[in-house]
Amino acid sequence: MSESTDREALLDLVAAYALGVLPSSEQGFVSALILTDPDARREYDELRATANLVGLSAEEPVDSARAARMKERLMAAVRSDASPRPTSASATRTSAMWGTTLAAAAAVVFALVSVIQNFGLRSDLHESQTRVATLQTRIDADRRTVERDRRMLTDLTASDAKRYTVAYGTVVTRGEHVYLALGSLPPLPPGKVYQAWTLARGAKAVAPSVTFTPSQNGLTLVPIPDDAGNVAAVAVSVEPQGGSRQPTTKPAFVQPLS
Amino acid sequence: MPSRAFRYRGSENERTNGVGVEDGARLMERVRARDVDAFEQLYDGYHRLVFGIALRIASDAALAEDVTQSIFLKLWSAPEAFREGNFAAWLSRVTRNRTLDAVRSRANRATGEIPVDLPAEASTDATVFARIDAQRVRGALSVLNDEQRTPIEMGFFAGITHEEIAQRTGIPLGTIKTRIRTGLRRMREALTEAVSR
Repeated sequence: MSESTDREALLDLVAAYALGVLPSSEQGFVSALILTDPDARREYDELRATANLVGLSAEEPVDSARAARMKERLMAAVRSDASPRPTSASATRTSAMWGTTLAAAAAVVFALVSVIQNFGLRSDLHESQTRVATLQTRIDADRRTVERDRRMLTDLTASDAKRYTVAYGTVVTRGEHVYLALGSLPPLPPGKVYQAWTLARGAKAVAPSVTFTPSQNGLTLVPIPDDAGNVAAVAVSVEPQGGSRQPTTKPAFVQPLS
Repeated sequence: MPSRAFRYRGSENERTNGVGVEDGARLMERVRARDVDAFEQLYDGYHRLVFGIALRIASDAALAEDVTQSIFLKLWSAPEAFREGNFAAWLSRVTRNRTLDAVRSRANRATGEIPVDLPAEASTDATVFARIDAQRVRGALSVLNDEQRTPIEMGFFAGITHEEIAQRTGIPLGTIKTRIRTGLRRMREALTEAVSR
Protein backbone atom coordinates (compact mmCIF):
# COMPACT_ATOMS: atom_id res chain seq x y z
CA MET A 1 0.00 0.00 0.00
CA SER A 2 1.41 3.43 -0.97
CA GLU A 3 1.95 6.24 1.50
CA SER A 4 -0.92 8.27 0.02
CA THR A 5 -3.27 5.29 0.26
CA ASP A 6 -2.27 4.87 3.90
CA ARG A 7 -2.94 8.53 4.43
CA GLU A 8 -6.38 8.30 2.86
CA ALA A 9 -7.18 5.26 5.02
CA LEU A 10 -6.24 7.25 8.11
CA LEU A 11 -8.49 10.12 7.06
CA ASP A 12 -11.31 7.62 6.46
CA LEU A 13 -10.88 6.64 10.11
CA VAL A 14 -11.08 10.31 11.11
CA ALA A 15 -14.38 10.59 9.20
CA ALA A 16 -15.74 7.51 10.99
CA TYR A 17 -14.70 9.08 14.29
CA ALA A 18 -16.43 12.34 13.35
CA LEU A 19 -19.66 10.49 12.60
CA GLY A 20 -19.35 8.55 15.85
CA VAL A 21 -19.13 5.08 14.34
CA LEU A 22 -15.59 4.19 15.32
CA PRO A 23 -15.29 1.29 17.79
CA SER A 24 -13.87 2.33 21.15
CA SER A 25 -10.79 0.19 20.52
CA GLU A 26 -9.75 2.54 17.70
CA GLN A 27 -10.84 5.84 19.23
CA GLY A 28 -7.66 6.40 21.24
CA PHE A 29 -5.45 6.08 18.21
CA VAL A 30 -7.60 8.41 16.10
CA SER A 31 -7.95 11.01 18.85
CA ALA A 32 -4.15 11.00 19.19
CA LEU A 33 -3.86 11.45 15.45
CA ILE A 34 -6.29 14.37 15.50
CA LEU A 35 -4.40 15.98 18.32
CA THR A 36 -1.04 15.71 16.65
CA ASP A 37 -1.72 15.95 12.92
CA PRO A 38 -3.04 19.28 11.57
CA ASP A 39 -4.54 17.66 8.44
CA ALA A 40 -6.38 15.12 10.56
CA ARG A 41 -7.55 17.90 12.86
CA ARG A 42 -8.90 19.92 9.94
CA GLU A 43 -10.64 16.89 8.50
CA TYR A 44 -12.17 16.14 11.88
CA ASP A 45 -13.39 19.70 12.45
CA GLU A 46 -15.03 19.91 9.05
CA LEU A 47 -16.63 16.49 9.05
CA ARG A 48 -17.68 16.62 12.69
CA ALA A 49 -19.58 19.85 12.04
CA THR A 50 -21.24 18.21 9.03
CA ALA A 51 -22.00 14.94 10.81
CA ASN A 52 -23.65 16.74 13.70
CA LEU A 53 -26.05 18.36 11.26
CA VAL A 54 -27.32 15.00 10.00
CA GLY A 55 -29.67 14.95 12.99
CA LEU A 56 -31.44 18.07 11.77
CA SER A 57 -32.97 16.04 8.97
CA ALA A 58 -35.06 14.20 11.56
CA GLU A 59 -36.85 17.32 12.78
CA GLU A 60 -40.56 16.86 12.46
CA PRO A 61 -43.75 18.37 13.83
CA VAL A 62 -44.86 17.10 17.22
CA ASP A 63 -48.59 16.59 17.70
CA SER A 64 -49.99 19.54 19.57
CA ALA A 65 -51.28 17.61 22.59
CA ARG A 66 -47.93 15.98 23.19
CA ALA A 67 -46.03 19.23 22.64
CA ALA A 68 -48.29 21.06 25.09
CA ARG A 69 -48.02 18.29 27.69
CA MET A 70 -44.23 18.24 27.50
CA LYS A 71 -44.04 22.01 27.67
CA GLU A 72 -46.39 22.24 30.62
CA ARG A 73 -44.40 19.73 32.64
CA LEU A 74 -41.09 21.32 31.72
CA MET A 75 -42.12 24.86 32.39
CA ALA A 76 -43.63 23.90 35.75
CA ALA A 77 -40.35 22.29 36.76
CA VAL A 78 -38.30 25.21 35.49
CA ARG A 79 -40.49 27.89 37.08
CA SER A 80 -40.45 26.18 40.46
CA ASP A 81 -36.68 25.88 40.22
CA ALA A 82 -36.24 29.49 39.11
CA SER A 83 -38.57 31.27 41.56
CA PRO A 84 -37.68 32.00 45.19
CA ARG A 85 -39.49 29.94 47.82
CA PRO A 86 -42.81 31.61 48.86
CA THR A 87 -42.99 33.01 52.38
CA SER A 88 -46.35 33.67 54.07
CA ALA A 89 -46.92 36.81 56.16
CA SER A 90 -47.34 34.88 59.41
CA ALA A 91 -44.27 32.85 58.74
CA THR A 92 -42.38 36.09 58.16
CA ARG A 93 -43.60 37.56 61.45
CA THR A 94 -42.74 34.39 63.37
CA SER A 95 -39.32 34.17 61.85
CA ALA A 96 -38.75 37.87 62.63
CA MET A 97 -39.54 37.24 66.34
CA TRP A 98 -37.33 34.22 66.43
CA GLY A 99 -34.74 36.21 64.56
CA THR A 100 -34.53 38.82 67.33
CA THR A 101 -34.31 36.20 70.06
CA LEU A 102 -31.77 34.18 68.17
CA ALA A 103 -29.68 37.26 67.47
CA ALA A 104 -29.53 38.10 71.16
CA ALA A 105 -28.65 34.53 72.07
CA ALA A 106 -26.05 34.43 69.38
CA ALA A 107 -24.44 37.62 70.70
CA VAL A 108 -24.10 36.06 74.19
CA VAL A 109 -22.72 32.84 72.80
CA PHE A 110 -20.33 34.76 70.57
CA ALA A 111 -19.03 36.77 73.51
CA LEU A 112 -18.46 33.64 75.59
CA VAL A 113 -16.83 31.79 72.76
CA SER A 114 -14.59 34.80 72.03
CA VAL A 115 -13.27 34.80 75.59
CA ILE A 116 -12.58 31.09 75.48
CA GLN A 117 -11.09 31.21 72.02
CA ASN A 118 -8.69 34.04 72.79
CA PHE A 119 -6.59 31.56 74.70
CA GLY A 120 -6.27 29.37 71.69
CA LEU A 121 -5.86 32.13 69.10
CA ARG A 122 -2.12 32.01 68.90
CA SER A 123 -1.97 28.28 68.24
CA ASP A 124 -4.86 28.63 65.75
CA LEU A 125 -2.99 31.39 63.96
CA HIS A 126 0.10 29.26 63.67
CA GLU A 127 -1.95 26.35 62.40
CA SER A 128 -3.67 28.60 59.84
CA GLN A 129 -0.32 29.96 58.64
CA THR A 130 0.94 26.41 58.16
CA ARG A 131 -2.23 25.50 56.27
CA VAL A 132 -1.93 28.57 54.03
CA ALA A 133 1.71 27.73 53.29
CA THR A 134 0.72 24.16 52.37
CA LEU A 135 -2.07 25.40 50.12
CA GLN A 136 0.27 27.89 48.47
CA THR A 137 2.72 25.08 47.73
CA ARG A 138 -0.08 23.07 46.17
CA ILE A 139 -1.27 26.04 44.10
CA ASP A 140 2.27 26.62 42.84
CA ALA A 141 2.56 22.96 41.87
CA ASP A 142 -0.83 23.07 40.10
CA ARG A 143 0.21 26.24 38.27
CA ARG A 144 3.40 24.56 37.07
CA THR A 145 1.36 21.57 35.88
CA VAL A 146 -1.06 23.81 33.98
CA GLU A 147 1.82 25.71 32.37
CA ARG A 148 3.49 22.45 31.38
CA ASP A 149 0.24 21.06 29.92
CA ARG A 150 -0.39 24.29 28.01
CA ARG A 151 3.11 24.26 26.57
CA MET A 152 2.69 20.59 25.67
CA LEU A 153 -0.59 21.23 23.83
CA THR A 154 0.95 24.16 21.98
CA ASP A 155 3.85 21.99 20.89
CA LEU A 156 1.66 19.04 19.92
CA THR A 157 -0.65 21.08 17.73
CA ALA A 158 1.95 23.44 16.26
CA SER A 159 2.28 23.39 12.48
CA ASP A 160 6.07 23.44 12.72
CA ALA A 161 6.23 20.37 14.96
CA LYS A 162 7.80 17.23 13.50
CA ARG A 163 5.65 14.14 13.70
CA TYR A 164 6.71 10.52 13.38
CA THR A 165 4.02 7.87 13.14
CA VAL A 166 4.81 4.87 15.32
CA ALA A 167 2.90 1.88 16.59
CA TYR A 168 0.01 3.13 18.76
CA GLY A 169 0.48 6.82 17.97
CA THR A 170 2.96 9.52 17.18
CA VAL A 171 6.29 10.87 18.37
CA VAL A 172 6.30 14.66 18.22
CA THR A 173 9.29 16.97 18.46
CA ARG A 174 9.25 20.72 18.55
CA GLY A 175 12.19 22.88 19.49
CA GLU A 176 13.94 21.14 22.32
CA HIS A 177 10.90 19.11 23.34
CA VAL A 178 10.04 15.48 22.60
CA TYR A 179 6.62 13.95 23.28
CA LEU A 180 4.97 10.59 22.84
CA ALA A 181 1.27 10.82 21.93
CA LEU A 182 0.03 7.27 22.14
CA GLY A 183 -3.46 5.82 21.83
CA SER A 184 -4.86 2.32 22.36
CA LEU A 185 -1.78 1.04 24.15
CA PRO A 186 -2.24 -2.61 25.11
CA PRO A 187 -3.10 -3.03 28.79
CA LEU A 188 -0.12 -3.84 30.98
CA PRO A 189 0.33 -7.07 32.94
CA PRO A 190 0.27 -6.59 36.72
CA GLY A 191 3.48 -5.12 38.08
CA LYS A 192 4.57 -3.76 34.69
CA VAL A 193 4.90 -0.25 33.26
CA TYR A 194 5.81 1.22 29.91
CA GLN A 195 9.25 2.75 29.79
CA ALA A 196 10.63 5.20 27.26
CA TRP A 197 14.23 4.95 26.08
CA THR A 198 16.35 7.54 24.35
CA LEU A 199 19.42 7.10 22.21
CA ALA A 200 21.69 10.12 22.47
CA ARG A 201 23.39 11.28 19.29
CA GLY A 202 26.66 9.41 18.90
CA ALA A 203 25.77 6.95 21.67
CA LYS A 204 25.82 3.21 21.12
CA ALA A 205 23.29 2.20 23.75
CA VAL A 206 19.92 3.57 24.82
CA ALA A 207 19.47 5.30 28.15
CA PRO A 208 16.45 4.79 30.41
CA SER A 209 13.86 7.58 30.37
CA VAL A 210 10.46 8.02 32.00
CA THR A 211 8.06 5.22 32.90
CA PHE A 212 4.31 5.57 32.38
CA THR A 213 1.02 3.70 32.30
CA PRO A 214 -1.73 4.14 29.68
CA SER A 215 -4.23 6.83 30.52
CA GLN A 216 -7.85 5.86 31.15
CA ASN A 217 -9.19 8.00 28.31
CA GLY A 218 -7.24 6.14 25.65
CA LEU A 219 -4.74 8.89 24.89
CA THR A 220 -1.42 8.91 26.71
CA LEU A 221 0.79 11.98 26.41
CA VAL A 222 4.34 11.55 27.66
CA PRO A 223 6.85 14.40 27.69
CA ILE A 224 10.39 13.07 27.37
CA PRO A 225 12.72 15.12 29.57
CA ASP A 226 15.67 15.00 27.13
CA ASP A 227 16.61 17.80 24.73
CA ALA A 228 15.29 16.87 21.29
CA GLY A 229 18.50 18.12 19.70
CA ASN A 230 20.48 15.46 21.52
CA VAL A 231 18.12 12.56 20.88
CA ALA A 232 18.79 10.33 17.87
CA ALA A 233 15.97 7.87 18.57
CA VAL A 234 13.26 7.02 21.07
CA ALA A 235 11.79 3.64 21.95
CA VAL A 236 9.18 2.24 24.31
CA SER A 237 9.11 -1.18 25.96
CA VAL A 238 7.27 -2.93 28.77
CA GLU A 239 9.33 -3.12 31.94
CA PRO A 240 8.91 -4.07 35.60
CA GLN A 241 7.42 -1.45 37.93
CA GLY A 242 10.05 1.20 38.68
CA GLY A 243 11.72 0.77 35.29
CA SER A 244 14.89 -0.97 34.12
CA ARG A 245 18.43 0.09 33.37
CA GLN A 246 18.30 -1.64 30.00
CA PRO A 247 15.31 -2.85 27.96
CA THR A 248 14.25 -6.31 29.06
CA THR A 249 11.51 -6.81 26.45
CA LYS A 250 11.24 -6.20 22.73
CA PRO A 251 10.35 -2.51 22.19
CA ALA A 252 6.85 -1.64 20.99
CA PHE A 253 8.63 0.73 18.62
CA VAL A 254 11.98 2.31 17.94
CA GLN A 255 11.79 5.64 16.14
CA PRO A 256 14.84 7.50 14.79
CA LEU A 257 14.50 11.28 14.96
CA SER A 258 15.90 13.40 12.17
CA MET B 1 -18.76 35.69 16.00
CA PRO B 2 -19.28 31.94 15.67
CA SER B 3 -22.53 31.67 17.62
CA ARG B 4 -24.16 34.33 15.48
CA ALA B 5 -22.80 32.94 12.27
CA PHE B 6 -24.05 29.50 13.16
CA ARG B 7 -27.65 30.50 13.59
CA TYR B 8 -30.34 27.85 13.38
CA ARG B 9 -33.35 29.35 11.68
CA GLY B 10 -35.91 26.88 12.90
CA SER B 11 -38.12 24.76 10.73
CA GLU B 12 -39.97 26.08 7.74
CA ASN B 13 -43.14 25.61 9.76
CA GLU B 14 -41.86 27.83 12.56
CA ARG B 15 -40.82 30.57 10.20
CA THR B 16 -44.02 30.62 8.21
CA ASN B 17 -46.01 30.75 11.45
CA GLY B 18 -43.96 33.69 12.53
CA VAL B 19 -42.76 31.91 15.65
CA GLY B 20 -39.18 32.84 14.84
CA VAL B 21 -36.30 31.25 16.67
CA GLU B 22 -33.73 33.44 18.31
CA ASP B 23 -30.17 32.27 17.95
CA GLY B 24 -29.89 29.16 20.13
CA ALA B 25 -26.47 30.09 21.42
CA ARG B 26 -27.72 33.48 22.54
CA LEU B 27 -30.77 31.95 24.18
CA MET B 28 -28.47 29.61 26.07
CA GLU B 29 -26.56 32.61 27.38
CA ARG B 30 -29.83 33.89 28.81
CA VAL B 31 -30.72 30.45 30.18
CA ARG B 32 -27.39 30.50 32.02
CA ALA B 33 -28.68 33.64 33.73
CA ARG B 34 -31.83 31.68 34.77
CA ASP B 35 -34.07 33.44 32.25
CA VAL B 36 -37.28 31.39 32.11
CA ASP B 37 -38.58 33.22 29.02
CA ALA B 38 -35.42 32.34 27.15
CA PHE B 39 -35.83 28.73 28.15
CA GLU B 40 -39.41 28.74 26.89
CA GLN B 41 -38.24 30.15 23.55
CA LEU B 42 -35.57 27.50 23.44
CA TYR B 43 -38.18 24.79 23.94
CA ASP B 44 -40.49 26.31 21.31
CA GLY B 45 -37.66 26.50 18.84
CA TYR B 46 -35.99 23.17 19.34
CA HIS B 47 -38.40 20.59 20.75
CA ARG B 48 -39.30 19.39 17.24
CA LEU B 49 -35.65 18.75 16.54
CA VAL B 50 -35.03 16.89 19.79
CA PHE B 51 -38.24 14.88 19.65
CA GLY B 52 -37.74 14.13 15.94
CA ILE B 53 -34.25 12.72 16.44
CA ALA B 54 -35.27 10.75 19.51
CA LEU B 55 -38.29 9.30 17.70
CA ARG B 56 -36.24 8.43 14.62
CA ILE B 57 -33.73 6.56 16.76
CA ALA B 58 -36.04 4.96 19.30
CA SER B 59 -39.17 4.39 17.16
CA ASP B 60 -41.02 4.82 20.43
CA ALA B 61 -42.94 8.04 21.04
CA ALA B 62 -43.08 7.59 24.81
CA LEU B 63 -39.35 7.09 25.05
CA ALA B 64 -38.75 10.01 22.68
CA GLU B 65 -40.90 12.17 24.94
CA ASP B 66 -38.93 11.12 28.01
CA VAL B 67 -35.67 11.85 26.26
CA THR B 68 -36.94 15.25 25.14
CA GLN B 69 -37.99 16.11 28.69
CA SER B 70 -34.70 14.98 30.16
CA ILE B 71 -32.62 16.89 27.63
CA PHE B 72 -34.47 20.15 28.13
CA LEU B 73 -34.34 19.77 31.90
CA LYS B 74 -30.60 19.24 31.60
CA LEU B 75 -30.29 22.34 29.43
CA TRP B 76 -31.90 24.24 32.26
CA SER B 77 -29.94 22.67 35.09
CA ALA B 78 -26.56 22.51 33.34
CA PRO B 79 -26.55 25.15 30.58
CA GLU B 80 -22.75 25.41 30.79
CA ALA B 81 -22.55 22.07 28.97
CA PHE B 82 -23.02 24.08 25.77
CA ARG B 83 -20.06 26.31 25.22
CA GLU B 84 -20.14 27.82 21.76
CA GLY B 85 -20.71 27.08 18.11
CA ASN B 86 -23.75 25.71 16.35
CA PHE B 87 -26.30 25.07 19.06
CA ALA B 88 -28.63 23.02 16.83
CA ALA B 89 -25.76 20.78 15.71
CA TRP B 90 -24.60 20.33 19.29
CA LEU B 91 -28.13 19.62 20.48
CA SER B 92 -28.55 17.18 17.66
CA ARG B 93 -25.46 15.22 18.74
CA VAL B 94 -26.46 15.36 22.39
CA THR B 95 -29.94 14.07 21.56
CA ARG B 96 -28.53 11.29 19.45
CA ASN B 97 -26.17 10.13 22.20
CA ARG B 98 -28.76 10.41 24.94
CA THR B 99 -31.38 8.53 22.95
CA LEU B 100 -28.97 5.76 22.06
CA ASP B 101 -28.14 5.39 25.75
CA ALA B 102 -31.83 5.28 26.60
CA VAL B 103 -32.57 2.74 23.90
CA ARG B 104 -29.67 0.57 24.99
CA SER B 105 -30.72 0.56 28.60
CA ARG B 106 -34.46 0.96 27.90
CA ALA B 107 -34.42 3.19 30.94
CA ASN B 108 -34.08 6.87 30.37
CA ARG B 109 -31.42 8.20 32.70
CA ALA B 110 -32.83 11.65 33.25
CA THR B 111 -30.10 12.66 35.64
CA GLY B 112 -27.23 11.69 33.38
CA GLU B 113 -24.64 14.16 32.25
CA ILE B 114 -24.77 15.79 28.86
CA PRO B 115 -21.76 14.45 27.03
CA VAL B 116 -19.28 17.08 26.01
CA ASP B 117 -17.84 16.72 22.53
CA LEU B 118 -14.42 17.69 21.44
CA PRO B 119 -15.31 21.19 20.22
CA ALA B 120 -14.90 21.99 16.58
CA GLU B 121 -12.69 24.88 15.60
CA ALA B 122 -14.68 28.08 15.90
CA SER B 123 -13.29 29.34 12.60
CA THR B 124 -14.97 26.46 10.80
CA ASP B 125 -18.30 27.42 12.31
CA ALA B 126 -17.79 31.00 11.31
CA THR B 127 -17.17 30.29 7.65
CA VAL B 128 -19.59 27.53 6.91
CA PHE B 129 -23.28 26.88 7.49
CA ALA B 130 -24.12 30.39 8.56
CA ARG B 131 -27.80 29.81 7.84
CA ILE B 132 -28.74 26.22 8.28
CA ASP B 133 -32.05 24.49 8.84
CA ALA B 134 -33.67 21.08 8.58
CA GLN B 135 -34.74 21.65 5.01
CA ARG B 136 -31.23 22.49 3.88
CA VAL B 137 -29.83 19.45 5.66
CA ARG B 138 -32.43 17.22 3.98
CA GLY B 139 -31.49 18.82 0.68
CA ALA B 140 -27.81 18.15 1.27
CA LEU B 141 -28.51 14.53 2.18
CA SER B 142 -30.60 14.10 -0.96
CA VAL B 143 -27.57 15.05 -3.04
CA LEU B 144 -25.82 11.89 -1.86
CA ASN B 145 -26.42 8.60 -3.57
CA ASP B 146 -27.86 5.74 -1.53
CA GLU B 147 -24.44 4.14 -1.15
CA GLN B 148 -23.17 7.22 0.67
CA ARG B 149 -26.33 8.26 2.48
CA THR B 150 -27.18 4.86 3.96
CA PRO B 151 -24.01 4.34 6.05
CA ILE B 152 -24.13 7.96 7.25
CA GLU B 153 -27.75 7.72 8.37
CA MET B 154 -27.22 4.27 9.87
CA GLY B 155 -24.20 5.54 11.75
CA PHE B 156 -25.95 8.59 13.11
CA PHE B 157 -29.40 7.24 13.87
CA ALA B 158 -28.67 3.58 14.66
CA GLY B 159 -25.56 4.33 16.69
CA ILE B 160 -23.65 1.36 15.35
CA THR B 161 -19.99 1.03 14.46
CA HIS B 162 -18.70 1.03 10.90
CA GLU B 163 -17.99 -2.70 11.30
CA GLU B 164 -21.66 -3.32 12.13
CA ILE B 165 -22.71 -1.18 9.18
CA ALA B 166 -20.49 -3.33 6.96
CA GLN B 167 -22.01 -6.51 8.39
CA ARG B 168 -25.59 -5.33 8.00
CA THR B 169 -25.15 -4.09 4.47
CA GLY B 170 -22.79 -6.86 3.34
CA ILE B 171 -20.36 -4.25 2.03
CA PRO B 172 -16.62 -4.48 2.83
CA LEU B 173 -15.52 -2.38 5.79
CA GLY B 174 -12.97 -0.41 3.77
CA THR B 175 -15.68 0.57 1.28
CA ILE B 176 -18.00 1.67 4.09
CA LYS B 177 -15.29 3.85 5.61
CA THR B 178 -14.55 5.49 2.27
CA ARG B 179 -18.24 6.05 1.54
CA ILE B 180 -18.78 7.69 4.92
CA ARG B 181 -15.96 10.10 4.29
CA THR B 182 -16.84 10.91 0.70
CA GLY B 183 -20.51 11.21 1.69
CA LEU B 184 -19.79 13.63 4.52
CA ARG B 185 -17.51 15.65 2.23
CA ARG B 186 -20.17 15.82 -0.44
CA MET B 187 -22.81 16.77 2.11
CA ARG B 188 -20.57 19.51 3.37
CA GLU B 189 -20.09 20.83 -0.15
CA ALA B 190 -23.85 20.79 -0.73
CA LEU B 191 -24.47 22.66 2.54
CA THR B 192 -21.77 25.18 1.73
CA GLU B 193 -23.31 25.74 -1.67
CA ALA B 194 -26.82 26.01 -0.18
CA VAL B 195 -25.90 28.62 2.40
CA SER B 196 -23.91 30.68 -0.10
CA ARG B 197 -26.95 31.05 -2.38
